[in-house]
Amino acid sequence: MTHAGQAGWLAWLESTGAATAMRQWLWLYPVVEILHILGFVVLVGSAAMFDLRLLGLSRQLPVTGMERHLLPWARAAALVIIPTGALMFIAHATEFAGNPAFRLKLLLLAAAALNAAIFHLRPFRRVTEWDHGTTAPLTARFAAGCSLALWTGVIACGRLLAYF
Amino acid sequence: MKGLAALLLLAATAAPAAAHHGWSGYDSTKELTLTGTIKESGYEHPHGHVRLATPGKVWLVVLAPPSRMTSRGLPASKLAVGATATVVGYPNKTNDEEMRAERITIDGATVELR
Repeated sequence: MTHAGQAGWLAWLESTGAATAMRQWLWLYPVVEILHILGFVVLVGSAAMFDLRLLGLSRQLPVTGMERHLLPWARAAALVIIPTGALMFIAHATEFAGNPAFRLKLLLLAAAALNAAIFHLRPFRRVTEWDHGTTAPLTARFAAGCSLALWTGVIACGRLLAYF
Repeated sequence: MKGLAALLLLAATAAPAAAHHGWSGYDSTKELTLTGTIKESGYEHPHGHVRLATPGKVWLVVLAPPSRMTSRGLPASKLAVGATATVVGYPNKTNDEEMRAERITIDGATVELR
């Protein structure tokens, strides 16, 4: 996409009714912010509790049981986080698109999603071999460490983008 | 043609583009008191703003979130174009045409913005 094309597209996003409402309705912006926070508390909280289990805490709890409990909550939370994040983005699309903290946040988000996908396609396939009472394989523990670091980075960038 | 329209749109909307900062982006050691005429105002999230024409310079003055300004008695109607305003605040550390206001005085009424 050309630079002008991209700029035009960002400006169009800012001119939409939803973006205007985000900027001008008195309480919409803070309500959307609160929903976004509630969403990522559940998503990142779920991910962190699962990661800590993979790293060896509470080994008496079956990994499969934790996954069945936490993953639906993480998925439901994503359904809240993505639209609320998109609303905040379109309100100031041009500004956010050029913000280094926002760009890094998107990069870290993509890495966190990729990390979760690889975990599910690789070590988690054989979870029955290490479901409880034992140490998870190195690949699973590595993915858990990456997940904790990446999500911490995503939250830090999300907060810091107001300061750049 | 479509590209040109998009560019014009961008020019029209990009004005307050740099208005999203924490207080840390402003130099609190250099307090400014500016009086001027409001050329443009935006009662928008996350922070409202006015363009204040002072002798020799038009400042982009970053204000508070609209919800806070409303609850402290500064409705959008008070930031009318053509009104005279006095702001006390700090200059942006990197953009010398932008400042963040600690308080604003319009029609003799002062509203704290922080």
